[in-house]
Amino acid sequence: MQEYSSQAAYDRGEAVCVIGAGASGLIAVKNLRENGFEVDCYERDTVLGGLWNPQNQHSPLYPNTHLVTSRSQTEIPDFPMPDDWPDYPSAAQMLEYLTAYAKHFGLSEHIWYGSEISQIDTVEGSRFEVVVKPAAGSAARRLRYGAVIIATGHHWAPNLPAYPGQEDFRGTVLHSSQLKDASRLRGKQVLVVGGGNSGVDIACEAAVNAAGCVHSVRRDTPHLPKYLGGEPTDFALARIGGRPKFLRRFLTDRLLKGPGRLAARMGIEAPGPGSAGEEPVRNGRYLEHVGDGSIRRRGDIARFDGFDVTFADGTEMRPDLVVLATGYAPKITLVKPKLLGVEGDSPYPKLYARMFSPRAETLAVAGLVEPGVGVLPIVHWQTHAIAHWLHVRKGDPERAANFRRQVVAESDQYEVESGGASPRHRLAVDAEEYLASLGRIIDILEQEPAK
Amino acid sequence: MSLTAWVRRARTPEPAPVRREIAVFEPADLFDIDIKDDPEASPVLCCTDDPAGAAAFNALWLKRIATSGRYAAAVSVRGQGGTPAAEGGVEAFTHDVVQAAVTVPRQAVLIGHREGAAWAALAAGRYPAAGLVLVSPQRFPKQPPKPVGGPPILLVVSESEAQSKEAQAVTEAYGTAPLTFAGSPDEVFKGAAAEGILDAVLSWLDGKK
Ligand SMILES: Cc1cc2nc3c(=O)[nH]c(=O)nc-3n(C[C@H](O)[C@H](O)[C@H](O)COP(=O)(O)OP(=O)(O)OC[C@H]3O[C@@H](n4cnc5c(N)ncnc54)[C@H](O)[C@@H]3O)c2cc1C
Ligand SMILES: NC(=O)c1ccc[n+]([C@@H]2O[C@H](COP(=O)([O-])OP(=O)(O)OC[C@H]3O[C@@H](n4cnc5c(N)ncnc54)[C@H](OP(=O)(O)O)[C@@H]3O)[C@@H](O)[C@H]2O)c1
Repeated sequence: MQEYSSQAAYDRGEAVCVIGAGASGLIAVKNLRENGFEVDCYERDTVLGGLWNPQNQHSPLYPNTHLVTSRSQTEIPDFPMPDDWPDYPSAAQMLEYLTAYAKHFGLSEHIWYGSEISQIDTVEGSRFEVVVKPAAGSAARRLRYGAVIIATGHHWAPNLPAYPGQEDFRGTVLHSSQLKDASRLRGKQVLVVGGGNSGVDIACEAAVNAAGCVHSVRRDTPHLPKYLGGEPTDFALARIGGRPKFLRRFLTDRLLKGPGRLAARMGIEAPGPGSAGEEPVRNGRYLEHVGDGSIRRRGDIARFDGFDVTFADGTEMRPDLVVLATGYAPKITLVKPKLLGVEGDSPYPKLYARMFSPRAETLAVAGLVEPGVGVLPIVHWQTHAIAHWLHVRKGDPERAANFRRQVVAESDQYEVESGGASPRHRLAVDAEEYLASLGRIIDILEQEPAK
Repeated sequence: MSLTAWVRRARTPEPAPVRREIAVFEPADLFDIDIKDDPEASPVLCCTDDPAGAAAFNALWLKRIATSGRYAAAVSVRGQGGTPAAEGGVEAFTHDVVQAAVTVPRQAVLIGHREGAAWAALAAGRYPAAGLVLVSPQRFPKQPPKPVGGPPILLVVSESEAQSKEAQAVTEAYGTAPLTFAGSPDEVFKGAAAEGILDAVLSWLDGKK
């Protein structure tokens, strides 16, 4: 890239701008390049890998983070993980994998590190002007692109509850993303709040490291172990998804019966994870810790009071450390909310097929879904579709119109019913339906042009 | 690779993992200061149905490829050379080739010989090879998958094979005319025919860079 002044925007022609070099950004860069696009990727941090890189200043990894999705369901479809890795790789392996992916496909030379994008705006119709936040002492850079893909992740802004009396609490309160080191739990009375994967994992860490662990959840959610029927759970369930419809229900019920009974024994009354139900928590150790008393479950917190915490059922405890594993709020501030379909009262984006801006044809978001299965394969097919769309849009107006109709029609088909109130549930999709929908969209985009 | 093909594969049990023998020759291994690793040139990964596996490429191929500035590797699939046997058939051999390809530091050209050409073509249906070279293909799938990422494809056969059903099927599947070499199809690893093939393949690769 050449030098450019602070006034005039540097024009990158038809090149595509990818924002973020986490898993989603890397996959986007690879697939766009494979489809012949020039790409500039901007990463605000100095490292790649996004949340899987502990060196990323904002990484939310906590002690002993391992995948909850198994290797074969997590790996990128055209770049498998080494088959001698364990079924559930660690966060460190995940980073090693993403680093190898970037190296294998020569992605680093297209990434600009230390470059936070502060704003993007439509210009000249369908093009975008992108503003790179200045480093101290220099002027902001502005560049123009043919298209923009936002891949900034949605696990950066903690979703923090506020309880009566919390400001005057005398113990320590941390969000799950701030925990980092298991030694902080040692010898402490720990209260973990939140029943998602983070809360359940951290409760297990506290069960073996802390002096005592209480786990507060405001409602019961489905629980699954990491293995079912001798196979990784997600793989076992996905295989059933490939069976004839009349068998699925039966096979699923049979597989989930044991875990369901165990959860019920531990006092967790949640509907089993059905086909379109909410994402289950996946942890094989948790219920055993509840069973041996090293994790004590409680309901919602009513209030904080000096050193003490009172729960809704009136019981009390005196925690040294409170870990709020209450999830994250998706936050994309670099673009006008309207362009992401944020309208009316809801603060949540409403994208076509969960990726295309409803307002700008050349703006898409990769990875803004909670599919309850491996995220990387989903992003692979999303960016595959986006890359093809950018081609079709330029060269084939008729197919472009067909495609627009299709994505609009597809967009409401994979909503997930959930009793959850926290932000994650607004991003949830039914993986099976969503993948099928992506398949249909890709088919339209890849049809041979009519001669 | 189509999304449906991937969904199907992700729901199929993976072949048993094996410790694969991979022979590697890098330009730096040649101790010749005139030969430099060309960072722009794609690495090469070879496979064959010869029972020697990777070792078959040791006589001549790997060194010659490295001399052209490319990272050169060959894999023994399960049951060949130093790789233990395990169940699986063609699907597992293809898996072995893909697994070897992702350990190569950069996006690799796949070269397959005889049945190895079939595995390479199947592997290219799920890994975006930088190029696909099929040497005297045998037992080639009737409908090979569309190669991911649209790599350039080269078909190399001996003069005696040029009219064979196999060669024609490959030509038809990919729309590539075969390049022929003089000599017997069994002399691909050393001797004059081998030299001829390598010259042709390497100059084709250099043209594709
Ligand atoms: C604790 C935890 C465990 C998880 N476990 C699993 C699992 O087991 N399996 C699974 O499939 N998924 C899991 N996930 C989901 C995870 O989100 C995905 O696996 C994946 O990492 C998402 O990648 P991403 O690139 O979309 O986002 P991120 O990894 O968040 O990357 C976004 C990148 O964008 C950069 N960025 C942000 N804003 C800007 C800006 N304005 N300008 C420039 N750069 C910017 C950030 O620095 C970051 O590098 C887990 C998530 C968490 C939090
Ligand atoms: N090991 C892993 O691979 C791993 C580990 C952790 C996270 N993850 C992934 O990362 C993402 C984030 O997970 P997460 O567990 O951090 O967050 P999460 O899934 O959003 O869970 C947050 C939990 O906190 C509860 N909560 C939210 N606000 C609350 C409030 N005001 N008071 C009481 N409880 C409240 C939620 O309850 P409701 O459901 O009732 O809203 C929910 O149980 C998920 O996609 C998850 O799968 C993966």
